[in-house]
Order: sequence, then structure tokens, then C-alpha cells
Amino acid sequence: MKVEEIDVNRQIGRIGEILNAREKKRGILIQALQQIQAALGYLPEESVQELSKKLNLSMSEIFSVASFYRMFYFKPRGKKILKVCLGTACYVRGSKNVLNALEQEFNIKSGETTEDLALTLETVGCVGCCGLAPVTTMNENVMGEITGSGKLKAIIQSIRE
Amino acid sequence: MEKLVKLQIDGKEVHAPAGMNLIDAGHLADVFIPNLCYLKGMKGFGACRLCLVEVEGMKSPVIACNTKVREGMVVHTQTEKVRDIRRFILDLILAIHPLDCMTCTKAGICKLQEYAYEYELKGTSFTRKKMGYPIDQINPFIRRDPEYCILCGRCVRVCKEQGTNVLDFIGRGINAEIGTAYNKSLRESGCTFCGSCIDACPVNALPEADRWRKGREWEYKKIQSVCLLCGSGCDILVSVKDGSIQKINTGEKPGSAKKYICAYGRFGYDCIEERTKLVSPLKRVKGELRETTWKDALSIVAGKLKDAGKNTGFISTAGIMNEDALALKKFAKNVVKTKNFDTTLSLYSDVHSLRDSQSALITNSDLLVLVGLNPSQWNRVLPALDASIRKRVNRGGKLIVMNSSDTRIEEAAMLSLKGDELQILKGVAKALIDRGLKADKQLKTAVRDAEITEDMEKAAKLIAEADRPILFTSPSLFDAAANISLIKGRVIAVGLESNARGIALAGLSTEGKTYKEMVNDRMKVLYAVGEVPLTSRPAADFLVVQTSHFTDLAEQADIVLPSTTSFETEGTMIDYLGRLKHINQVIEPMGLTKSHRDILIALSKIIKPAIKKPTDAEIKKMSKGKQKLAFSPFVRKEGFDISPHEFIEAVNASVLKGRRLSWLKEALAAVAV
Ligand code: SF4
Ligand code: SF4
Ligand code: SF4
Ligand code: FES
Ligand code: FES
Repeated sequence: MKVEEIDVNRQIGRIGEILNAREKKRGILIQALQQIQAALGYLPEESVQELSKKLNLSMSEIFSVASFYRMFYFKPRGKKILKVCLGTACYVRGSKNVLNALEQEFNIKSGETTEDLALTLETVGCVGCCGLAPVTTMNENVMGEITGSGKLKAIIQSIRE
Repeated sequence: MEKLVKLQIDGKEVHAPAGMNLIDAGHLADVFIPNLCYLKGMKGFGACRLCLVEVEGMKSPVIACNTKVREGMVVHTQTEKVRDIRRFILDLILAIHPLDCMTCTKAGICKLQEYAYEYELKGTSFTRKKMGYPIDQINPFIRRDPEYCILCGRCVRVCKEQGTNVLDFIGRGINAEIGTAYNKSLRESGCTFCGSCIDACPVNALPEADRWRKGREWEYKKIQSVCLLCGSGCDILVSVKDGSIQKINTGEKPGSAKKYICAYGRFGYDCIEERTKLVSPLKRVKGELRETTWKDALSIVAGKLKDAGKNTGFISTAGIMNEDALALKKFAKNVVKTKNFDTTLSLYSDVHSLRDSQSALITNSDLLVLVGLNPSQWNRVLPALDASIRKRVNRGGKLIVMNSSDTRIEEAAMLSLKGDELQILKGVAKALIDRGLKADKQLKTAVRDAEITEDMEKAAKLIAEADRPILFTSPSLFDAAANISLIKGRVIAVGLESNARGIALAGLSTEGKTYKEMVNDRMKVLYAVGEVPLTSRPAADFLVVQTSHFTDLAEQADIVLPSTTSFETEGTMIDYLGRLKHINQVIEPMGLTKSHRDILIALSKIIKPAIKKPTDAEIKKMSKGKQKLAFSPFVRKEGFDISPHEFIEAVNASVLKGRRLSWLKEALAAVAV
């Protein structure tokens, strides 16, 4: 969804009847940010700039709200998003090695994205599949028991494609 | 509002106005409740919890910054319980703080240091954590070092309240920090470098960029003065050490959210040290300006003035002090005996509008109306007016903007009326009369046929319902706007120069040729006082320039007389709100410089009759205008169409050319593209 398609009154719905203009705008802020991110994968500065004008909320205020939630990204994200679990079970079973190997292979640190936007590397704390430790997720898929170099190679291969 | 409430704080009886919070009420009885996030003048924020106090009858402690006084309340600020909590909070803060008081710029006025001392904390009992945030120091004004930040949020709140909106809380929990949108530097974040955040910060997270080893607070002599760089005439507090200015802050106490000064007022003082500062008289010899003595320079000028007599013209800026203005008028009229004396005021206003403006306080008003005015913090046209209005709005005041062009301030307005200001004023006047407000006959007749739009009706309703409305107007619309004030409210014309009102009240306004005429006609002697904004030589036969810096005009003069800046002179001015303000001398005059009045007095002693320095009584008398307003037709006064922005830059050229302020111009231009 583009910023110009955002309709404050429609999106806020009935609850808008009891809010003043400013509260309404703040009220749809998160929703609007989600829409921008759904369409563009992250929150580009220009789009937030437009939103800031539209809602008459300052850039710093919007950034402040957005940065409060972990779900918003301010930089483009990779096609593949790899999350290495650093939860206790995974950690004990060597997930740190998996992370190090990936960092070296793609020359980025956790939290960063490769220049060609192929990969974003992140860490999480326990994804709830401790039985499969060490675990890594790629986009929505869980990959477990990454112990030998074979599995790791396959993952790297699939990102390189 | 003014109802007094009786309560007890630490055993002392206090009578505090209803609605006051406990921190302020404590002050009334000299009880100082510790606080880090509270800003006097703003609502309590509740971020630091240091102000916890116990109130008898309540189970748990309450925060004093956000608790209002109540009749019969018994408050204890120093119980073992609250002291323990405070000690715990400070302990936590110290765990994320650098603890380098031995070299810290803020030592001596740092609130954290003060409380650590009071609560006997030498360090933290927790594991210390270093966040490793980068320092923002790619601007010459403010060094933002988040490592020292204690997350009190004061900077965020002042920046927001004044409408600049640069800083905010970023992230959350242990990773929360103060930052800008997209973590950019201040330079790229729309920061105006007003430095309000510097004054608000209780620790060393936001000091002036050049403060390192320029002396500690207790070494400074602090002198209250006034900035004379624009029509706002802000109060400033100048810190002096070893005879030179080290820094300038707002005239308000630290920890107060009341006052604003802009980057010019805060950082422009280094023009004092620029190479362009004049330190001795100059005279033209074989086409070149060479240094000479006062004796020589004065006798040449006196000779020329005697010769030229009524063919002499005096032009001045309206940024000179009252004493200089009165001396100049006397000197022109009684000594040189010419009727030609005028100021730059005549480029943007008639005398009557400023002289007959009323007095009012923005902080007391519940409705502000801007008529044909476009103040802006961003291009520094009356920035302090812009900031004061936005603050008022953020504290519950209302704003109406009437302007034929787009303005940025209308974003803060409840109502913005676009179009010809005269039609708007007429319509609103009529709507007020239709609502049953009293007006005299002439006014009623004048607006009889006015058209009332829906917005004019709304504006009239707001004015009618307000308790203390103030109309701020550009001088060219003063008469028309004053008609509204005849029905309700006060009206104030805002000039572009600091002492415009003082100049108007002093009557330093021509009885012969105008400023423009004197510049264009061939005067026998043209005598320019202050930083007169001319770049090419006027047609005059002989040109005397009396100014503090080697300006474009000085470069073309026959004689240059070095005058002091406002930092080197004592005197008075009258600000746009009508307040007579005292300007203290903060440093000794540099080189051979003399004040404008002293130069004129010295000349008068040669030419005769000698004039005297204007007395305090004379100043007091002139500062009281008549201010009796009567109906005048709805017309726009013509001929005042200069660009405020360009004009302010031109009369302050030597200040703005200083090293730091010129960076500002380049940097902001770069961001604007
Ligand atoms: S200098 Fe002024 S505009 Fe810039 S961050 Fe500080 S308060 Fe805000
Ligand atoms: S920078 Fe200073 S004023 Fe701002 S939150 Fe940190 S400590 Fe408080
Ligand atoms: S707003 Fe005007 S008077 Fe105030 S500090 Fe700035 S230049 Fe000086
Ligand atoms: S610790 Fe990794 S899935 Fe639970
Ligand atoms: S001053 Fe009251 S919570 Fe900070």
C-alpha cells in the first residue's frame, strides 16, 4: 500500500468517533507503518517522510514509535532471512559456531544484510524446537540439527542461488 | 486560579497556588526536592522517579513533579524510605554513566553529580555497562554524547515543545536511547542548533561543541544581557572568563523550559574575535583606509559636519540602544542642526505602528493571532516568536494564522485563514460585532459590507470566547488589526530589529529626508551608525561610517569610527512586547572602540553645543508610549515590502560571516536540497 492510499478515517473505524484528530493519526500510525513495510519490505526514509507530512507527526516521533517494536526494519532486508537460534539449548549444542560460520561466509555481522540483498542474518532466542537444536530458521522454515558441515553447506548453497 | 492552598512540607507551612505541583511548592519554602526529569514550566513527566515523596495518609510514595498541592496536605521529602529509593535509582543510573567528573565539562552544575554527592554514592554497586554509542560531533555547535545520557527526556521535551522535533526516545528497555529519526546526525535531522537542549540537559550529554577545557562553571562570571540580533530581543546569560565570552545560555535558570534563544544569539558572539572587528579609527588617505587617532578622526568629522550643516544626513539601524538613539537625535537636531535623521525601521514600518503597539505577555494569553507575520525558527525570522507561540500552543493556548501566503507556523494553528488579510480582518470584525460585541460607530460602518466566511466566523468565535487574546501583526497591517483590538484583545506590531520599538518611542524618525532618500540623494555628508545594510557606496560627497565591524559599507567610507558591540556597552532597549530591558556590559571595549553615544558626545564637544549622556529618567519617560488607539480605515500601508529574511541577514552580516554561523548557512542549505 502506498502512503497516499492511506485513509485515516476509514482505517480507524468507529473508534475514531471518540478521538480527536491527533489521536486518530497516532492511532493509525502502527497500522500505516505495517502497510508500508508489507509493501516494501522495510520502512524507507522517503515513505516515512511522506507519512510524516500526511499525519503531521514529526519524523523523530514516528521513528521513536517504530523503533519501539522489533517488527519494523529501517533498512532493506535480504531475500532470505536467516535467524540463528541462540537460545540455551541451541547455544549449548554449538549454534554460535553456525553463526560464526555464516558471518564469515557472507562477510556480514548478525543484524546486517549482504550488499546484494541476498541474505539478512539475525539471531533469536529459542524458537521452541529445542529438540532439534541447534536450530536456524530460513524465512518461515525451521532447519534443525545443523551439526555437520554438510547441512551448513546446503544452506549456504541455497542462499547463493 | 489564584486560590491559595495551605499545606505542610517538611514541617514548614506553605501557601501555594491551587494547581501547583509539589516540587514548585517546595521551592516556595526553600525545600528542594531532587529531580532529574522535571522542567520548571512544563507538566511533570514521571520518568526519573527521583522526586518521590511521602504524603501522610497515602500508602506509597508519590512523585512530587506530578502531584498537585491539596489543602491540609502533609508532605515529607526526606524520609528513610524515599531516600533509599532515590539512592537505589541513582545507583542504577551510575551503572550506565561514565563517572568522569574529574574532567567533565558539566562538573559543578551536573545534577547527577549533585545528587551522588548528597546521597554519598561514589560509584555503583551494579555491574557497570558501557553502551558504546557514537558521538555526534560533525557540527560546530553541539556535541551529542549519548554515553552520558541518563534518559531523563528533558531535551526531547523542549525540542518537541518548541516545534523543532529533532530528538526522541529510540528503541526500548535497556537499548533505549535518545536519538534522531533514522539515527542521523543533528546536521541532517532538521536541527536548527538553537541549543535549547543544551540548556535542558542536566548532565554532560549535550554540551557546547567547543566547551572542552574552556573553564568550569564556577570559574565563569555570569552576566544577564539581551541579544540584539533580531526583533525578538531575547534575554541571554553570558559566561565570561579572563575577560572574554566563553558561552551564552538562555536568560532563564538551568532546568527551566521557559526561554528560547536561537543559534545566532547563542553562538554569534564569536564575531567579537573575528578579524573584521574594528579596533581603531580609520581615514582614507590616497584612496586607502589607514589607521588614525581618535583626535584626528573626530576633528575631521567635526569639520565636515560643521560645513555641511543641514545638508548632513544621519542613517542608523534600529538595533542601537535607547541611549544611542536619543543621543543621535539630539546630536543631529541640536548640534549639527539637520532634519535628516532616519533609521532602517522606515524600510519595514512606520513609527506609529511600533510606538502605539500595546504590551502583553504571550505566556498569559490563551489565544494568539498572527496577522501577515511569518516567523520561523528555520530561516531565523523572529525565531523566538515562533518558538514562544508553539510552546504556548503546546501548553493549551490557541493560535489563529491570517496570511495571504503559506507559512510554516500554521501547522501549529487551530485555524488558518488564507487570503487577503484586510478582507479577513474586516470579516472577523463584522462577525464579532454580529455576535454582539461592542464597537464604535465608525468601525461598524467600515465593516458593514464585509463578507463573513465560515472560517472568519470561527475565528470570531475563538476571539470572543478567549480571555486574553493578542494580535501580532506586521507593521503594514497594524491599523487594520488594531481595529479588532478596539473590539477585543491587544495588538502588537512586530519589528524586525531588536530595538525597533525603542527607536520609534525615542522618535528617531526623520523630519526631513527619509533613509532611502538620504541613500540616493547626494548628501554633503552621510553619517551611518551601526551595521547599516548597504553594500555599495551611497551618492554622498563624504561618508562617515560608525560601526563595530569592517562592513561592506565601512570599506567604502572616508572615515570609519569604531564602535562597541552590545557586549561591550551598557544600555537599554524595548522589546516587541513593550518591556524595557537592561543590557549589561559583559566585556571591556576592545581596542579603541567607543559606544555610539560616546562618539557623538565627543563630536558635540568640538562642534558645540555639547550634549550629555541621556539620563535614566529620560529613558524611562520615553519608554512609556501613549497607546491610545482609535479607529483607522482598513488599509495596508504600502512601501514595506522587503524580505524579512534577507533584511535580518543584511543587518547582521558581520555576525553571520563568523566562522561558526557561516557553517550553519552552508549546512542547512545542503539539507534543504
Ligand atoms: S539544538 Fe534545538 S532543534 Fe536541535 S536538537 Fe537541540 S533543541 Fe532540538
Ligand atoms: S541527552 Fe541529556 S537531556 Fe536528553 S535525555 Fe539524555 S540526559 Fe536527559
Ligand atoms: S531570536 Fe533574535 S533576539 Fe533571540 S537569540 Fe535569536 S537573534 Fe537573538
Ligand atoms: S533454544 Fe533454540 S529452539 Fe529452543
Ligand atoms: S522529576 Fe518527578 S519523576 Fe523525574
